[in-house]
Amino acid sequence: MDASNLSIREINSLFTKKELKPSELYLKVFENAANSEAALHAHLTLFEEENIKKAAESDKRFNNGESDSLLDGIPIAIKDNINIKNYKTTCSSKMLSNYTSPYDATVIEKLKEQNTLFTGKTNLDEFAMGSSTENSAFGLTKNPWNIDYVPGGSSGGSAASVGARSSIAALGSDTGGSIRQPASFCGLVGFKPTYGTVSRFGLVAFASSLDQIGPITKTVDDSRIIFASISGEDSRDATSVINNQLDIPSDNTATIGVIKELMEDGISDEAKNEVNKVVEILKSKGYKVKEISIPIIKLSISIYYLIAPAECSANLARFDGVRYGLRVDGNTSYEMMENTRAEGFGAEVKRRILLGTYALSAGYYDEYYGKALQARKEMIDEFAKTFRDVDYLISPTTPTQAFKSGEKTSNPLEMYMSDLCTIPANLAGLPAISIPTGLSKDALPLGVQVMSKPLSDNSLLDFSEIIENEVQFDGQPKGWL
Amino acid sequence: MSNEFNIKNIAKLASINLSEEEQDSLSNDLSIILEHVNALSDLKLNSQQKEIFIHPLEKELELQEDEVVEFLTHDEAISNAPESKGGKFVVPPSME
Repeated sequence: MDASNLSIREINSLFTKKELKPSELYLKVFENAANSEAALHAHLTLFEEENIKKAAESDKRFNNGESDSLLDGIPIAIKDNINIKNYKTTCSSKMLSNYTSPYDATVIEKLKEQNTLFTGKTNLDEFAMGSSTENSAFGLTKNPWNIDYVPGGSSGGSAASVGARSSIAALGSDTGGSIRQPASFCGLVGFKPTYGTVSRFGLVAFASSLDQIGPITKTVDDSRIIFASISGEDSRDATSVINNQLDIPSDNTATIGVIKELMEDGISDEAKNEVNKVVEILKSKGYKVKEISIPIIKLSISIYYLIAPAECSANLARFDGVRYGLRVDGNTSYEMMENTRAEGFGAEVKRRILLGTYALSAGYYDEYYGKALQARKEMIDEFAKTFRDVDYLISPTTPTQAFKSGEKTSNPLEMYMSDLCTIPANLAGLPAISIPTGLSKDALPLGVQVMSKPLSDNSLLDFSEIIENEVQFDGQPKGWL
Repeated sequence: MSNEFNIKNIAKLASINLSEEEQDSLSNDLSIILEHVNALSDLKLNSQQKEIFIHPLEKELELQEDEVVEFLTHDEAISNAPESKGGKFVVPPSME
């Protein structure tokens, strides 16, 4: 058995029994990265030297029986919009190509306390805006299952890295599906925790009321371990919440709702079949399953593409060529700012800043942003009502399997539609997970999404693990080990 | 909802200098996207007077105490500046 294929708990057990050393595992994942990086371009940077030293320290701790963390010596890749002190954080943007972070994000501080190894920084759509990792200023990332296809996005580099076993797990960020969609496209588990349970401090902000950090992993249990390590209230993030978890049943006393609006037109038969397959398994185990209608879900894309760009236009105003990042000269400060932003931002980022600026501008604010906020509140209320009847909601993660590189780049709206199933959880702040369940006729992975009420993350993970064990998806991309 | 917008005006508000070519392509993209989001105008809300929260869990945002905490040093805070002098950010003149 190749150690890079194992789960975190299996690896930790081998470390503890001294049958595998952290340094041996690190060399293996680094070798996997060396084998795959030219073809996939999952990473923007790989950290080698410092990891050899840190892995040797982990070796010593396990050898002396002094390690007390499941994540000690586990190589984890980090999306390049999360700050690690003294390393570059580029957000895959020309704007930040020379930015070196002077501080650690809270999630990084927490992982450092666990003696985790950071394999490197992964590629993303610029400032996490995109669904294919084709909007990176530093080149495309490819899907490890088939390099003609996109890995999804915006955390496409993180998903490709875990898919190719260049890391054991990865951190991504999810504003409208950016963890779950690439996880689904790459045959992995992607978990977006309840909004506010994981600190956003040190995550470069895109849309602050939607952004959430979470793991991309091979198994549900790996996501559970990472969530437990990175969650917790943080005074440095004003939107952070106390992680008081609700306990809801995960056994067959639970009731499951299938979202009607996400099983209709625009969803491929293959994606629907995966949901139906899981539903049949759950029914056979004695779960009560019923169809649920939440009509406002059909407006998710409209609501999202007003709120997210509005927040992005405000958040990205900080890139003005003064305090950090690119500067392009001009005769006045204002000219310098306009020239810097023209040169530093790519097309999709400009598109969203302009859309958000328009939605927030005088005369249009109530019509666009105000209406979107009201609709969002309505959606939150509809979900709350639904969760009085059901414990978990199930749907496809994505309308289709991964699409081909270049297939949707000329049509932004078509690209946005690929997040149809994942956006509602961000708008309502719900925990949501994508679990790999099967392969399409093109031999590409498909996933099923499960959502539950806010702060029921642990129960959601328990229930997802039951699905994972029943479905027994053991597919893995070939040719990288 | 109105789809009338002046791309030059929006670009000015957003402080982005757009080429003629970009103005054309982004105008076209924004029209398509705005046409789609107009679906919201047909939405009949259950109540027009709903209290709007920014936090999806409806947490009321609290102001922090105004107190000094240790974080970045002055040198660290300025370490990424494109141009600095004597510990200060340097910018071109604000008026011609």
